[in-house]
Amino acid sequence: MSLLLKTHFKLAKTSIKENRTRSFLTCLGIAIGVASIILILSLMGSISNLVKSEVSEIGSNLIVVRPSSTKDSVTSIIEELTSSNTFQQSSLSLSDVEAISKLKNISAVAPIATSTNTVGSEKNTFSSVQILGTTPDFVKIEPLALRYGTFFTNDNKENGVVLGHTLSLALFNTINSTVGKTITIMGEKFMVVGVLDEIDKSINFDNIDFDNALLMDANALDKLIGSTQIQQINIKAENTDSLAAISTDIKNILKENKSGDENFTVAYGDDITHPASSLFTVVSGMLAIVAAISLVVGGIGVMNIMLVSVAERTHEIGIRKAVGASSRNILMQFLFEALILSILGGIFGLVLGYILAFLISVITPFAPYISWEILALTLLTTLAVGIIFGIYPALKAASKNPIESLKHYR
Amino acid sequence: MEKKVSENNIIIELKGLTKRYGYGDTESFALKDFDLTIKRGEFIMIMGPSGCGKTTLLNIIGLLDRASRGEYILNGENVAGISAHRQARLRAKKIGFIFQNFNLIEDLPILENVALPLVYTGYSKTARLKNASSALKRFNLQEREYYLPYQLSGGQQQRVAIARAIVGNPEIILADEPTGNLDSRSSHTVMEELKKIHEEGNTIIMVTHNPALTTYATRVINMLDGQIDTDVKTVEDQNLPQPIDVKIKKRKTKPEVILGQVEPTKKHRRKKHRRKK
Repeated sequence: MSLLLKTHFKLAKTSIKENRTRSFLTCLGIAIGVASIILILSLMGSISNLVKSEVSEIGSNLIVVRPSSTKDSVTSIIEELTSSNTFQQSSLSLSDVEAISKLKNISAVAPIATSTNTVGSEKNTFSSVQILGTTPDFVKIEPLALRYGTFFTNDNKENGVVLGHTLSLALFNTINSTVGKTITIMGEKFMVVGVLDEIDKSINFDNIDFDNALLMDANALDKLIGSTQIQQINIKAENTDSLAAISTDIKNILKENKSGDENFTVAYGDDITHPASSLFTVVSGMLAIVAAISLVVGGIGVMNIMLVSVAERTHEIGIRKAVGASSRNILMQFLFEALILSILGGIFGLVLGYILAFLISVITPFAPYISWEILALTLLTTLAVGIIFGIYPALKAASKNPIESLKHYR
Repeated sequence: MEKKVSENNIIIELKGLTKRYGYGDTESFALKDFDLTIKRGEFIMIMGPSGCGKTTLLNIIGLLDRASRGEYILNGENVAGISAHRQARLRAKKIGFIFQNFNLIEDLPILENVALPLVYTGYSKTARLKNASSALKRFNLQEREYYLPYQLSGGQQQRVAIARAIVGNPEIILADEPTGNLDSRSSHTVMEELKKIHEEGNTIIMVTHNPALTTYATRVINMLDGQIDTDVKTVEDQNLPQPIDVKIKKRKTKPEVILGQVEPTKKHRRKKHRRKK
């Protein structure tokens, strides 16, 4: 049998070589599908890697509470996608934050409430600035480096705000003399108490672009806007051992607050690195589906070319059968050819995918992420594509009647 | 079973073989209650008008086709109802085909064309090519081993096809108008080769339209409408050439090839051995 496999391999090689252009184009179809899958997987891998490294920087005693859709149905996800603000119907509120902060073994609690509004300075006015409402505890949990000034404290949280690096530049055309200046939000005046250092991390577990954000106290924001949407609550435990116990406490108290509804998630450890919102999951899922579709199209290309090959080689099949090839031998011969085509395409696509990922990494913070899982997955997928789309032409070849086939001429 | 074969030397027995095409109004018979007994070492020429069922008969004997009804006993074993897979295995080991239009694979050098039957009987590549090479040598084509079929003349191509038919050392050689596409000189060469193969003890069944060729045969069968019209034996049964290596042939553990004297690989032999147990 092994001898025969070797022969099949050789035959396939010869046949692929003989029809070089055709084989190359077929491989290219598979390669594009594989490359897009590799690209998406490696980008997704790099995103969760970024978050992971950030979480490990912060420390392992972090617990995160995130709102989740009350119904985990497709409609709610679509609703989320179509609404401009991702967490318009956030299930978390400031009273939840207060309740959590009363729990034991917790050293700091900081909500992240988000809102967008027009922010004005003496020079410029910008609409759609992301405003974050949090507490002075925020810096205890997440060490944000400040370029100038300080983070707002309990004393000046009523009207003190912190600007992101880019936002400061935009509002005042400078960063070094911004501290002490006044900005206006909805007619109210606030004083800039600090400017953040440039954070080149658009991907983080808070899901916030700090460079372009304005940070202020959550209660002040609540007062200003009326209702705030809490995107996430960060909690720092006193030690790592009690994380599970604390998260259960949090769950219980929140459930109580919401009269039994469990429309939130509590995560700690590696779970935090999971995509911060269902939006991310949906988008990456859809990208993966698109990539899979292109792989299917590639597979159809393989099937097409194999059908042509079978038709062209009908006479050969007849001869082979006449000299003693069984249907199984013929089946294997053509299946092997399809497999080799798709695996070649897979390897080609792997290389192409990583080249693209590297090109993307040049202009974005995503470092291409390579793991043996991705490699194995690619190999298995291309094998599966080869078998699924190669089996029909191979069966067709195997089922040919030798007498009829011998009469067939090219 | 083996004994029975050697006792009366019968290699093929056909009983009441019928091949029907179509049903009802379109029903027609290529073979109708066809009986034939073929002994080892016979050189049979089958003649008859077009459409009398000669080729169908050859295809059924060659296990490429199945009869609608009747018995086909090959080497004492009824092979009429065996699976397609078993048919293929028997075809690979026991039967060599020669066609009117040579039927060589255009993309393969003639050496690999000749080696083709050995691919499906489990020989290693080296053994295959060595055997094929010695088979080609026999037909004085050793210098053209790496030519492609189209680079050879018709007579040469048919000699390649004959080399392919005998390379696996089959017991029966079936030839369907092997000289039909050749000029008289090439025909003569090809027939001489077939004669030599026959003298080595091979059974040859040949379909032809050319009455001049019947001089080579030991038995001439004329067919008409799917039945035997006349059946003339020109050589007595006891005078038929018998295979010199008949004993070696029967030893199934060592499928040996006379031409190249190359034995199959060890792996193959071991596998065979296990199966026998």
